[in-house]
Amino acid sequence: MPLIELQDVTKRFGGLQVVNHLSLGVEPGEIVSLIGPNGAGKTTVLNLITGLYRPDSGDIRFDGRSIVGLSMHDVTRIGIARTFQSLRLFLNMTVLENVMSAAFLRTHANWFDIIVRTPRFRREEAQIRQLAEAKLAFFGERLVGYRHDQPAYSLSYANRRRLEIARAMMTEPKLLLLDEPAAGMNPNETGEVTELIGKLRDELKLTIILIEHDMSVVGGISDRVIALDHGEKIAEGTFDAVATDPLVVEAYLGHDERHNRK
Amino acid sequence: MSQDKIGTDQWVEQYQGRVNRRNRVALLVDRASKRLPVWAWLIILALVAATLPLLTSNDLVIRIAGNVALLGALALGLNVVVGYAGLLDLGFVAFYGIGAYAYAYLSSNFIGIHLPTGITLIAITVISGLFGLLLGLPSLRLLGDYLAIVTLGFGLIFQQLMTSMTRVSIPGQPSPVNLTGGPNGILNLDPIRIFGWTASSVTDYYYIMLVLLVVMMLVIYHLYKSRLGRAWSALREDELAAEAMGMPTRRLKVQAFATGAAIAGLCGGLFAAWQGSVFPSNFDTNLLINLYAIIVLGGLGSLPGVLIGSLVIVAVPDVLRNADLAGKLFYLGAIVTLFGALKPRWQTPLLLIAVAVFGLIVKFIILAIPSLGWAPLPPVGSAYLDVIHSWLVAPANPVLTGNAGNIGFAALLILGLGVTRIKNTWARFVVLIPTLYLLVFVWETRLSQEASVTRLLFIGVLLIVLMIYRPNGLLGQKRVEIV
Repeated sequence: MPLIELQDVTKRFGGLQVVNHLSLGVEPGEIVSLIGPNGAGKTTVLNLITGLYRPDSGDIRFDGRSIVGLSMHDVTRIGIARTFQSLRLFLNMTVLENVMSAAFLRTHANWFDIIVRTPRFRREEAQIRQLAEAKLAFFGERLVGYRHDQPAYSLSYANRRRLEIARAMMTEPKLLLLDEPAAGMNPNETGEVTELIGKLRDELKLTIILIEHDMSVVGGISDRVIALDHGEKIAEGTFDAVATDPLVVEAYLGHDERHNRK
Repeated sequence: MSQDKIGTDQWVEQYQGRVNRRNRVALLVDRASKRLPVWAWLIILALVAATLPLLTSNDLVIRIAGNVALLGALALGLNVVVGYAGLLDLGFVAFYGIGAYAYAYLSSNFIGIHLPTGITLIAITVISGLFGLLLGLPSLRLLGDYLAIVTLGFGLIFQQLMTSMTRVSIPGQPSPVNLTGGPNGILNLDPIRIFGWTASSVTDYYYIMLVLLVVMMLVIYHLYKSRLGRAWSALREDELAAEAMGMPTRRLKVQAFATGAAIAGLCGGLFAAWQGSVFPSNFDTNLLINLYAIIVLGGLGSLPGVLIGSLVIVAVPDVLRNADLAGKLFYLGAIVTLFGALKPRWQTPLLLIAVAVFGLIVKFIILAIPSLGWAPLPPVGSAYLDVIHSWLVAPANPVLTGNAGNIGFAALLILGLGVTRIKNTWARFVVLIPTLYLLVFVWETRLSQEASVTRLLFIGVLLIVLMIYRPNGLLGQKRVEIV
């Protein structure tokens, strides 16, 4: 059974059909890449899954149950986490606080615990601090040591992307949605991100949906690639098959006008 | 290998050092706070503050100190809503008022209920918190400026209702009922009574306010360093991201509102007990502005900042009532500002000497023309003021002195604006000499004569200067919007 399944999902903004009768499924432990030109509806698919948008028709099923109509934080609670294309960190909080804040749903200290600092509160706090440090340690030496107590705005661009992934990991998801994790990175860093995504699947057994324009990332780790254009699925399969699909080539490059003119 | 260097940003590594160099006050506070835990600092603070009534028997001073503590606690509550959760709440004072009126209803002859103080205070806190929930609910859909307008409306409505609900027809009652006491308020409230001890003197209430402040600081510090505080900060930083990371943002917003309201209500109740009465005019927009000035001055979100802000905003106006103290504060403030603004540092002493010489020359020239009728100002019996007065010249006729002060004030504004536009160090230095002379002239001939106006002017200038040199407040952390 697929972990996440979109069944005939449609989303319109006014007259614009952004996602058009789209069906797709992702098996547990799989890395699926969504590719397509700008405006193809890739990010909208993520927004539909996470509950930011509600589909006009169709159903989205996670772990066998429909998640349409759930609020965003409830979607996160049942195990779907995401990162944002345009980086949405809590800039004025420290690196560690950014990650710790994402444990909100799994902590239970109430007002009394917090104000009186009961042992329960201290235990829980120490626990999530440890957990957050472990999540940050996942990125090697990029986000450890003195960086823990620095405000997020002082991080470099690449480190901000890493911090977003760490924050998403803190919600303990089963399904991770990565929206262009390699955007704005240099080739070395891109290689590192590719490796990291592989590690997320292999070591943490995460299922991943990846949106990415950098084909070296997509080709490097995808088990399956789905190409979208105008909200419709135009190709699906291995990276090599999709990349050479004439429809995909046409969506990216346009068809040859010279032949039509004759 | 070069690959190891990627992402190791040297700018970031040196970051803390640069912050510390820029803001020495914050550095000192930061170091101090790390040496001892927060509760230890609070105990030290409380012990030091508790000795005040032993040092002075002047009720006015103790009253001011009590006010500093009360408004400090109130500002802490506002800080939760505005500084932590980032919700611009302009109706905050209404909750303070609700607390005060709730105390009045529960402990006076107005309705005839006299509950024990402990129960009253708990009830007040709960009632105000519920009102906070109530206002929080419609505010869920509102963002930023719109939220500010709605809450401002709430605050104004509250004050208006308390003023005008004096003849309300209630079904079943033969005649209209006076619900709020109107502009004349509710009088003769019970004092605070705890375990058989009754607060009667200013000193008693000072200690109550001190306990309130210390408890509030501890509670809010704990809240801030918890899952709740982190979630509120996240909400302030990016609501959508907070929601996506599993934080129920709607509930958190309402919680922040209710927390702030409950704190305000408790403060209001204690205020009412201290004053022994409540009036609608106690909860006007002036108080709101003062509260915002406190938290902005101290630095949004900073706990010790609130304390300093409250000290400045509450105590300074009262200190300025005394001409001698006001003069000291004025001249000291001017010199400190010069030291802060002028670089290199040796320019300031040089400038002060130049101004003194300039004044002597002006005096020499003007006194050489007897037909003008100008003379040094009369001595007032304060050593430093007498020196300045004999150095300065003004029209001998008191009415003319005031007029000259007004004209000087206008000239001072123009010159002052001019100084800020001049980039050349030496040109600015030269223009500053007559400007400063004029400043002293205007202060001595006009401003120090009218304490009530000067107080406001003084605070205004203080805030402007402070915001120029410390845009994030005295102890505020730098905050970025978009990078």
